[in-house]
Amino acid sequence: MSEASQPGTKRTESDRLKKGGTFSSLMRRPEAGAFLVMIVVIAAIAFASEGNAFNPLGLKNNLSVIAQFGIIATGACLLMIAGDFDLSIGSMIGFAGMSMAMMLKWGLPFGLGEATPVTAFFFTLVMTLALGWLIGTIVVKSKLSSFIVTLAFLFFLRGLTEVCFRVINSSTQISGLPDYKEQSWFAYMFGGEAFGFVYDIWFWLGGNLNRAGNQWVTGLDARVVWWLLVAALAYVVLSRTQAGNWIFATGDNRESARANGVPVDKTRVSLFMFTAFCATLFAACQVFDTNTADAAKGNLKELEAIAIAVVGGTLMTGGFGSVIGVVFGAITFGLVANAVFFIPAIDGSYYRVFVGVVLLTAVFLNESVRKRITGGL
Amino acid sequence: MAEPLIRAEKLVKRFGPFTALNGIDLEIYRGEVHALLGDNGAGKSTLIKVLAGVHQPTEGQLYVEGKPVTFQSPRDATEAGIGTVYQDLALNPLMSVTRNFFMGRELTTGPQPFGLLKMDEMDRITHDEMVKIGIDISDPGQAVGTMSGGQRQTLAIARAIHFGAKVLILDEPTSALGQKQQMEVLKTIARVRARGDIAIIFITHNEVHSNLVADRFTFLALGEVIGKGTKEELKGKDIRHLMAGGVEMADLEQEIAAI
Ligand SMILES: Nc1ncnc2c1ncn2[C@@H]1O[C@H](COP(=O)(O)OP(=O)(O)O)[C@@H](O)[C@H]1O
Ligand SMILES: [Mg+2]
Repeated sequence: MSEASQPGTKRTESDRLKKGGTFSSLMRRPEAGAFLVMIVVIAAIAFASEGNAFNPLGLKNNLSVIAQFGIIATGACLLMIAGDFDLSIGSMIGFAGMSMAMMLKWGLPFGLGEATPVTAFFFTLVMTLALGWLIGTIVVKSKLSSFIVTLAFLFFLRGLTEVCFRVINSSTQISGLPDYKEQSWFAYMFGGEAFGFVYDIWFWLGGNLNRAGNQWVTGLDARVVWWLLVAALAYVVLSRTQAGNWIFATGDNRESARANGVPVDKTRVSLFMFTAFCATLFAACQVFDTNTADAAKGNLKELEAIAIAVVGGTLMTGGFGSVIGVVFGAITFGLVANAVFFIPAIDGSYYRVFVGVVLLTAVFLNESVRKRITGGL
Repeated sequence: MAEPLIRAEKLVKRFGPFTALNGIDLEIYRGEVHALLGDNGAGKSTLIKVLAGVHQPTEGQLYVEGKPVTFQSPRDATEAGIGTVYQDLALNPLMSVTRNFFMGRELTTGPQPFGLLKMDEMDRITHDEMVKIGIDISDPGQAVGTMSGGQRQTLAIARAIHFGAKVLILDEPTSALGQKQQMEVLKTIARVRARGDIAIIFITHNEVHSNLVADRFTFLALGEVIGKGTKEELKGKDIRHLMAGGVEMADLEQEIAAI
């Protein structure tokens, strides 16, 4: 008699599912790989920069880049989980930045008079959300791959941005706008500072000093708050709400989701609007921080957003992914992108070498996760 | 005998010049397993697609509990209590058992569609509904992709019943499974039958399977009914002969021998 068929130990199908402890179930989470990579990168950069990457100014600068990555990668992640790509994110950033700066410099369209930060932002947001809706609707109705439709919009929006600049502004840059964040609380929300109290406490505790012995850094960039808000919101929506279940269902098997009554088309179109929203947020933070705009802004950002989402554990094929993983991925990418400023000995182009290696590794890792879950299908 | 739950009267379905169904009469009764048998291309799938609202009949009439009905879409059929478990089962492999069970019909608190999922309640219902028809899943958070074919079948059936199916249509539920899992599915069918309130339409090629669980049989060939009856009525008749679409086995043996 074999061991398995001893009386009283009748095996059932569900016994075959191996159950591990807390650690092994943590390691099986989609963000596990991204977490490990992040820890290694933080340690390596802290060591190589002799801590400078995490001194008061280093932290501020790093988090500024991390937040930028994080905002757009969160949008890309939700969209990818639903089974689509958006290659127009970078061009959308350029378009939104152009639109806001142009209104601030030349006034609102249709002769509606002078623009304020509030009106410039909302006019722009209405346009970008409409574009997101248009992209999504074309993808859904035409049944074409979102890859090709958004590739078309990558070119279309970038070209449109440049044309608008030249026709209205006769230059592809705007600089020297008034410092709106000094006068307008609304502009300050995007371009100002936040978490000043952390730096105040740091100062009281005896750190955060400049050469003259005064407080050195006064706060983090406001976009860090937006990143945390967007990530927290996306996390709750994805993992705790009905909309989140629709996103997973849409990306996993679209036809079966439809057959069960999931509003697949609405879900997809909404997510294209969400990536457009994230791009607009990215642009608003940039415009109100630097008071400039440039036709090349956001270039290649769509690819970085997708790379971060993949490194965060999101499957290219949809149906699976994690917002927390994207947070880890954004931290990793932001630190490495900025590393050249803290480690003078290295060449900035190593950033792209790193991205290539990490991306490929992540894709293999994700694929093995997918195989394990689907039983090798 | 009581009023049938579903009655089809002289159903005709044409695809252009091709007549897929040619005047089908069918009665489905509560608490019974109704085996729909016939060769490939006989029209079984077309017939159940008409019942499920996927196709509209060219001629003929459907009655649900005696009332004439016209289904414009699968949704109409679902609302009338006709639940179809398709061959692909409409399950999502990467999602958990519970998330699959409630896909598109989630229980939430708060404003749609951003209402928070009542995960505990959904887990409990999923577990209980599956236990009722014979599978005790230990972890409702398990991904469906890690379940066996038989378990998935049970999940799809439990889901259809929970969301109000009075008639379950199973299109070749055993065809893609191994021996042991085929038996699991047959047991599941038997358990659903034991509830007494649900009718099952069971399409199969397997004579042994249909004999094990079916109460009533309908044989199709070339879009027409070539035989029907309860298990008792069909006793002694050559079921295999009917299943082969009326071809005599003896003829077949001769033909093969002649090659
Ligand atoms: N949508 C359709 N258009 C044209 N012919 C169809 C269509 N669906 C089924 N048929 C034809 O109807 C016949 C019956 O098919 P089907 O109902 O699938 O048979 P079964 O399920 O019994 O094997 C087949 O000859 C098939 O080619
Ligand atoms: Mg068929």
